[in-house]
Amino acid sequence: MSQTVATPAPPARDERLGRRSALARLLARPEMGALVGAIVIYIVFFIVAAPFREATSLSTVLYQSSTYGIVAVAVALLMIGGEFDLSAGVAVTSSALVASMFSYQFTANMWVGVVVSLVVALAIGFVNGYLVVKTAIPSFLVTLGTFFMLRGLNLAMTKQVTGNVATNDVSNIDGFGSAQNVFASQFTVGGVSIRITLLWWILFVAVATWVLLRTRVGNWIYAVGGSAPSSRAVGVPVNRVKIGLFMAVSFLCWFTGMHTLFAFNTVQSGLGVGNEFIYIVAAVVGGCLLTGGYGSAIGAAIGAFIFGMAQLGIVYAGWNPDWFYFFLGALLLGAILLNTYIRRRAEASR
Amino acid sequence: MFRSRKRLLAAVLALGLVVTAGGCSESGGKQAEEGAAGVGAGKASTARITIAMVTHGAPGDTFWDIIQKGAKAAAEKDNVDLKYSSDPSSGNQANLIQSAIDSKVDGIAVTMPDPPALIPVIKKAIAAGIPVVAINAGITSFAESGVLSYFGSDESLAGEAGGTRASEGGYKHVLCVIQFQGQVQLEDRCNGVKKTFTGKWTKIYVNGADRPSEQSTIAAKLKQDPSIDFIITLGAPDALAAINAIKDSGSKAKLGTFDFNPQIPPKIQSGELQFAIDQQPYLQGYEAVDSLWLYKANGNILGGGKPTLTGPFLVDKQNVDFVGKFAAAGTR
Amino acid sequence: MTTTTEAPAKTPLVRLTACDKSYGNIIALGGISLEVDAGEVTCVLGDNGAGKSTLIKIIAGLHKPSHGSYEVDGVPVTFDSPREALERGIATVYQDLAVVPLMPVWRNFFLGNEVRKRLGPVRRLDIDFMRKTTKKELLDMGIDLRDVDQPIGTLSGGERQCVAISRAVYFGAKVLILDEPTAALGVKQSGVVLKYIVQARERGLGVIFITHNPHHAYPVGDRFLLLKRGKAIGYYSKDEITRDELTAQMAGGAELDELHHELQRGGKAAAEAAHVLEEEVQELGITHEPTAGS
Repeated sequence: MSQTVATPAPPARDERLGRRSALARLLARPEMGALVGAIVIYIVFFIVAAPFREATSLSTVLYQSSTYGIVAVAVALLMIGGEFDLSAGVAVTSSALVASMFSYQFTANMWVGVVVSLVVALAIGFVNGYLVVKTAIPSFLVTLGTFFMLRGLNLAMTKQVTGNVATNDVSNIDGFGSAQNVFASQFTVGGVSIRITLLWWILFVAVATWVLLRTRVGNWIYAVGGSAPSSRAVGVPVNRVKIGLFMAVSFLCWFTGMHTLFAFNTVQSGLGVGNEFIYIVAAVVGGCLLTGGYGSAIGAAIGAFIFGMAQLGIVYAGWNPDWFYFFLGALLLGAILLNTYIRRRAEASR
Repeated sequence: MFRSRKRLLAAVLALGLVVTAGGCSESGGKQAEEGAAGVGAGKASTARITIAMVTHGAPGDTFWDIIQKGAKAAAEKDNVDLKYSSDPSSGNQANLIQSAIDSKVDGIAVTMPDPPALIPVIKKAIAAGIPVVAINAGITSFAESGVLSYFGSDESLAGEAGGTRASEGGYKHVLCVIQFQGQVQLEDRCNGVKKTFTGKWTKIYVNGADRPSEQSTIAAKLKQDPSIDFIITLGAPDALAAINAIKDSGSKAKLGTFDFNPQIPPKIQSGELQFAIDQQPYLQGYEAVDSLWLYKANGNILGGGKPTLTGPFLVDKQNVDFVGKFAAAGTR
Repeated sequence: MTTTTEAPAKTPLVRLTACDKSYGNIIALGGISLEVDAGEVTCVLGDNGAGKSTLIKIIAGLHKPSHGSYEVDGVPVTFDSPREALERGIATVYQDLAVVPLMPVWRNFFLGNEVRKRLGPVRRLDIDFMRKTTKKELLDMGIDLRDVDQPIGTLSGGERQCVAISRAVYFGAKVLILDEPTAALGVKQSGVVLKYIVQARERGLGVIFITHNPHHAYPVGDRFLLLKRGKAIGYYSKDEITRDELTAQMAGGAELDELHHELQRGGKAAAEAAHVLEEEVQELGITHEPTAGS
């Protein structure tokens, strides 16, 4: 690094900046590796699986990806902020159960259940965040605890309230139709049926990206994940940011839970277990650092797309179902390796 | 009283949020649907005994819940103190049986999904003078283990019934949807279907813990192989995902399922589901407790050393109205 | 102890008078007095455990002194948090610099003090302004960065230190506390940092420069406070002490003597080392008498 003091009037734009090409700058973005991985996997399945080429198949893949991707967006923000949430998978089910049971038991309008469920979901996020910042125990352990607790609560509460392990059908409760329109409707564009979750997903990714890159809160999210003590020293409200991130995760869990409820009318209390890892995988494949401080919301979206594409691509290709998880793992590993390779190249070219 | 406790819990769940008057639903909901009647009967005057039921059921599964309900109904009638426990891992299940022996219960009902792991501990129970009956899983090895009776369905037989039914409908290509990998009874069902189905047979694994994923995967499979004209799911909730998947993919395939839950009868009535093969878990739970009680009270043994089958019981448009009302009460 | 009462009209920016700090029955700091004027560098010297960090924490508002008074601009203060100290213009640059290595230079520069502009109902970052300001402020300090978008972790240690200093200056620091800014740096990088300390002084800031290296302290310092085991062992203005005296005080003449005796007893090779040490002691002009006994 040179220390030359240039002309007295510094140019507004450094002439050396121009030489660093726009391409190099683009390649240095956290999600670039994942994007290349997604394109490669898309091309692979486009070649080997004839049904994959159809627009309706892409629509199914995008729907599948959106159900992972919506939560993965918030999980990515949380990971950038330096924390994990292992309770995200079952929190989706908790939200759906609360909304469904509340409206059914009190014979209330569906929207009342939806709002109550939102309050409960945000409370779960707040408790997760509060425990993490107050106890200073790694979030991996705290949310592992809440994961098991929620899993138990989902079952026990459902059984206590409904007497069954699944909720009653709520499809003829007032407000179900309008709620379904919001959370689980579909429409047709050019003969291809599009799920509304896809639009919500795009919206959430856009908002999260804008918040991360263009707002003060976004700056703080990167900062608390990159170095919490440093952030605290310059006056960033670290605890509030972290609690807020946990609540953002539970908000999108709630949203996905609402989708599950209104797409299927009933909810089984055992659902959702294992999905927390899919969200984390999506964020990591999308370029988020497991240690925090680095990543992007778009990357997490691409990660979810890769996961959805690999999962369904194997089916479209008609590969032996016994080997499904092997292929899935191999594809993900391939995507991660490619991602890492591209990021190293980008860093070397700085 | 029971009803008000439920309401209290629901209120706690809502974190004290007050429902406004305008938020009430005019249709559906609890007020519109009458509470379940349940199976009620008189009560035995025999001395109170304790019976342990140890299964491999996963917590939160409708099926195991119905087994428990049957067991509870019998326990209430027979003046039995029922201790239910379960663990899907056979090692842990063996430990649960051991702890039942240690606590000197008067009888044990077990499932035997993994006979080599469970038979030694079952023999220990018998040696300790505790009568044991097997339910649900273990039809091939219950005799070897020395238990009194077996109440359950033959999974292969149930699968064969499904295959036969699908063949009768004239279908050419059946897809068997397995919701968890590596479970013997699920594989047995699919293989049973394969055995009697006259057309082509294909299987697929889906993630049973994630409905949207399950739905997309089935839709993708239907797209990949348009010749599939019949789908058999192995669990009742999975049938709902398959119904959506058929709509999604624009496929003309028809659907049958194993097992039963309250959502199934309306789907059979509407024609979205052709049939459901019920193995009557309520009966398995009920008979397990009742037969142990009979053995203690009167020395009776059911089955004569042969399995007592609780299924397959095929529900279709013909009998759905009759069975459906019990399902709505959560006992079928 | 010297006094500076000959110019009563001039109120020091920061004045500590007979400050004590004890944790339970452990006395971390005892009877420390210190003054910092605008446009002056006050160096605090001492070895590990001398009480330097406790002193910083008191001035920075992290701890309150157990006894004694703390005045800013002649007004007694009690700070409950570093934030309050910051509001009074007392900024601390810690050893870890309070920077986030993975974030761009400009985001670090404005972290916690982001500049925003209104966009309808929401407020967003004024990125353009922050980029330009960062570049300009660093240039004013004499650092010409190629790209303020590069992660601050890619800068050299000295440069990072300078970003932290110019950040504190930009956000209105009147008193700058620098905690061992040269400790982890090589000679060249240390020189760069010392240059910026002088720059800050030229801009009229009061600087408290914590170090254990008298060679770094002497060229830039106006006053020197020497700490040892929580006590002041000397407080000098620059005209009262030479560099060698400072070094000698820091090294501790008595300890050098002891070291000398110890080495002499250790055989031939050690005696040679002892000789070298003795020469060094003389060169430094240590006038300490050997202690009686061993």
